[in-house]
Amino acid sequence: MALLVTAGACDFPRDPEGTLDRVRGGVLRAGVTASPPWTLLGPAGPHGIEVTLVEQLAAETDATVQWVEGSEESLLAALELRELDLVVGGLTSTNPWAGKVTFTHPYLTTAAVVAVPQGAEVPQDIAGVEVAAEAGTEIAGLLEKTDARVRIVDDVGDASGAAAVDNYLVDDLDLVDTGVRLAERDHVWAVPSGENAWLTHVERFLLAREEEIQNLLDEVAP
Amino acid sequence: MTNSDAFEFPPDKERIHRRAVMLEWITLAYMVSAILVIYVVLGSSQAMKTAWVEDILSLFPPTAFLVASRVRRRPRNNEFPYGYHRAVSIAFLVAALSLLIMGVLLFYDSLTVLIAAEHASIGVVQPFGEPVWLGWFMIAALVYTTIPPVLLGRAKMGPARALHDKVLYADAKMNKADWLTAVAAMVGVIGIGAGLWWLDAVAALVISGDIMKDGAVNVRAVVKDLMDTAPTRVDHSGTEALPARIETEMRKFDWVSDVRVRMREEGHIFYGEIYIVPRDERNLVARTEQARTKAENLDWRVGDIVVTFVTDVAKGA
Repeated sequence: MALLVTAGACDFPRDPEGTLDRVRGGVLRAGVTASPPWTLLGPAGPHGIEVTLVEQLAAETDATVQWVEGSEESLLAALELRELDLVVGGLTSTNPWAGKVTFTHPYLTTAAVVAVPQGAEVPQDIAGVEVAAEAGTEIAGLLEKTDARVRIVDDVGDASGAAAVDNYLVDDLDLVDTGVRLAERDHVWAVPSGENAWLTHVERFLLAREEEIQNLLDEVAP
Repeated sequence: MTNSDAFEFPPDKERIHRRAVMLEWITLAYMVSAILVIYVVLGSSQAMKTAWVEDILSLFPPTAFLVASRVRRRPRNNEFPYGYHRAVSIAFLVAALSLLIMGVLLFYDSLTVLIAAEHASIGVVQPFGEPVWLGWFMIAALVYTTIPPVLLGRAKMGPARALHDKVLYADAKMNKADWLTAVAAMVGVIGIGAGLWWLDAVAALVISGDIMKDGAVNVRAVVKDLMDTAPTRVDHSGTEALPARIETEMRKFDWVSDVRVRMREEGHIFYGEIYIVPRDERNLVARTEQARTKAENLDWRVGDIVVTFVTDVAKGA
């Protein structure tokens, strides 16, 4: 067995269905669903942080990306049946499709935080404090569970006073993080289950780009 | 009535028992470390998951042994006039039954994985700054769980026989076979790495089959025990010769016309009755003492034995 291990160590792990070999020098079938700022769809094709990264991954793998747009469910169902090689779109590690498809190691953790305008007094506790949240968002729901006074607004960027926002938007909105966290999100990509050469290839790509991903995120305008 | 409560082991056995208790504490400490190590690298391999559950289940027998070695020493009282020896069997029944049920569940689970052709994914981790395939850590963790249980199992075999302790024996045997689980899980992980996804599920089936077998063997043994089966040797290789030996010894008394001995095991202590047909009815009280002392001195495991006189042994046992 030791022999088997050493003999196979160089190209371990392998893909049962040969995804990496097929993608390399060929086509990377990537599913994308809109989830700004990670992925955005437009007439010129998809763009956004994750789209940029997928294009880089393809370049590094000598592959061209064939984008497939759809809903998260339709894309993940196609991924489960290996009709796609990758799905991106602001997916996080708590996604209920885990088990049917495989999520990569989280490549970035973001948080929903309560922030206050620069120069304003930072509250010790958000109990009783009026905090703005954007209508129809998860953040608004999370805020409702706290003892803050929730003010639902159409655009949190226009709100004055304290606001619940994603931490990567705090600087752009000229806010200061209060340290109150509503939720953490571990960002992942989805790949077909069991294609371990492909999975590790994608994971190594993401792990090597920690700084770059942070830079891409800093460029995001709200 | 003899006072068998104070009596648990003769001095030489007491020493062996202390060693067995120490070995079981070491086993527990080691198994807890193994469970933690495997948990850290668990991943989505079915074989790993199954091996991990088996490690958790293997905490039961040492725990049963350690609890029993305290509980069974409690003196008998009005509420428990026969003492606490049977607590061991009950603890062991629970452990064996959980082993069997878990074995069946895991077998079904693994079969489902195989039939549904679920491919296990193992990605990379980056604990030391460099991305490494998690499978290598899984194999390293499994290597850690391969050798020590075998050594512990071998070390416990001797005390189990010397103490006539079936829980200890079952535990030692399970430990000795534990390397098989670790190796099967390694085969599963290497299978995933080699792109042979089905090898993982097959390895998991082998491991769960082993858990089921352990459970079934032990349930059978302990149920027989609770049914007051005739005392068997600790390795279940046959019936214990002690009752027959006591009969032979009794026949050597010139006042004994016929004798029948009936015994059962309570933990490692044998309880029972000696039915004697005397040639005449003189000095029955003194003869009772004589017969009982003889039987008790024959073997350290003879615990609480009752001598009774009958006109026909068929009316007794």
